[in-house]
Amino acid sequence: MLNGIQQAGVHEWEIPVGYVPDMRVSGRLFLSEALGRTLEEGAARQLANVATLPGIIRHSFGMPDIHWGYGFPIGGVAAFSESEGIVSPGGVGFDINCGVRLITTPLTLDDLEDRRSIISKLYKKVPTGVGSKGSLRFSGSKLDELLSGGSTFVINEGLGLPDDALLCEENGCMREANPDLVSEKARTRGIPQCGTLGSGNHFLELQVVSSIQDVKTAQAFGITEGTICCMIHCGSRGLGHQVCTDHIRTMEKASKKYGIRLPDRQLACAPLTSREGQDYFGAMAAAANYAWANRQIITHELRLLFEGTFGIDYKEMPLVYDVAHNIAKWEVHTVLGEEQRVCVHRKGATRAFGPGRSELPEKYQATGQPVIIPGSMGTASYLLAGTETAMQKTFGSTCHGAGRVSSRKAARNALSGNEVAADLKKKGIIVMAPSGDAIAEEAPSMYKPSDEVVRVVDEAGLSRIIATFLPLGVIKG
Amino acid sequence: MSFEELEHTADVKIRIRAESYEELFRTASSALFSTLYSGDCRIERERGLQVSADTIEDLLWEFLSELLFVSEVESFVVCETEVVFIEGGLSATIRGETFDPERHGGGREIKGISYSDLFIRKIDTMICAEIIFDI
Repeated sequence: MLNGIQQAGVHEWEIPVGYVPDMRVSGRLFLSEALGRTLEEGAARQLANVATLPGIIRHSFGMPDIHWGYGFPIGGVAAFSESEGIVSPGGVGFDINCGVRLITTPLTLDDLEDRRSIISKLYKKVPTGVGSKGSLRFSGSKLDELLSGGSTFVINEGLGLPDDALLCEENGCMREANPDLVSEKARTRGIPQCGTLGSGNHFLELQVVSSIQDVKTAQAFGITEGTICCMIHCGSRGLGHQVCTDHIRTMEKASKKYGIRLPDRQLACAPLTSREGQDYFGAMAAAANYAWANRQIITHELRLLFEGTFGIDYKEMPLVYDVAHNIAKWEVHTVLGEEQRVCVHRKGATRAFGPGRSELPEKYQATGQPVIIPGSMGTASYLLAGTETAMQKTFGSTCHGAGRVSSRKAARNALSGNEVAADLKKKGIIVMAPSGDAIAEEAPSMYKPSDEVVRVVDEAGLSRIIATFLPLGVIKG
Repeated sequence: MSFEELEHTADVKIRIRAESYEELFRTASSALFSTLYSGDCRIERERGLQVSADTIEDLLWEFLSELLFVSEVESFVVCETEVVFIEGGLSATIRGETFDPERHGGGREIKGISYSDLFIRKIDTMICAEIIFDI
């Protein structure tokens, strides 16, 4: 473990006040000894920087998949008080409401003998990579409706099942969205990209449920061993990226105006009570709704393709859940024994609400929410459930994925995309992407082992492992 | 004119060394487009753009953010950039061609230009800058 960081419990580590100047609270990391050895100094410093922001409550948190980002570290969580706190685009990221959803099917491995053919069809159907454009265009007042309505708007356009919206965090729509605050530039970027995957670590993956760790909860989540599922990971595309760019500029000025000292310019922020803070929140919420709409459109394309290819019904492919992992949200949490409305930032972290929370759909009231944790390309993914411990310790938050350990540059220097794809093929996993570099950069060896990340959140009580999924084929941007 | 990619776990961090501010901004444009697109680029179209800012770092950030926007919405792959500094900002001419997925595809999508660790500094006779592209 890095110097100056102290053990505070099983898998819990404290970054004390004073690690960087002006910290208001300490940092709290969830790491095993092995993951502790991968902690970068830059990520620890970023976690400590977050602790200097006004109105932060309890701790600045780092999940086990923490790594060096910009502003907040990736895997960072922080809650801010309604009266004293701030909102920061650097605590959400450029890809607002980047998230993951899981869809089940009645298919089994026997139905997927010609794996390459179905992956190839998906690759043709779902636009991926730089410069890709979608076939559906929502502009003008339709785009306003999409930005206000998120998943629900798209479902009402005939692109989903009635229950799909209820099976998303926030019911697939943040009500605080204000489309008027989304700039023309953001709209121009967003219009052609609806229903596209993007590039980087975004993907659509077919998986098989390889084992179940909690039968009762898996049943409640609709997961059966041996069946084929689909995981989709993408966000708000250029529209969200532009909203972040537009508002960082305003937030820079606001930080100065409200006398907020910043250890890193990317932490530019404004009080939650200020006009600037509320404007960002309204625009961010609209971009979050775009992301839910985007994932919904891709889900629709997938269902149509599977209907045509396998002769199964659209309704036989229900959504398990859709989680956001780059977002700021108003939530009620118990602070010092009292319920408080706080603004929780999760940047590369997943909400993990435990049983009984009113935000969860009826069917997940007894289990806690499904938490979807993708592995790196070629490794296992996991379905977990939120817990009461997460509510008490981390404002109901857990990890979001494997977390990188090596740079993209190192990946391209060390690996060839063709070799990585060939290795995966030997394991029966088909990968399709626009370039070899895109595959090399996302090679499993460039990430922390997802099983270790998930073991830590399970043992720390931040979520419970319910089922394990193995990859069969993946399309990437 | 040179730039190199530095180690950064999640994103792309670029270091630029140049003999003048004009060269620095031109090189930053090259770094941006070589991250976004692969393959060669021919000069078949051009357009101008202007940005303004209070400091030289902010101007670089505004310039790259504008290039990213123009490239994405106009499907513009840029291979030549000219920069002229004017009162309060800069005026640039960019030249290149329309994005062709067959020839330019497979690059890395840049979500935005980060303010984290952004600096422009004179070191000896050179002007150096570091900038992070969020991937």
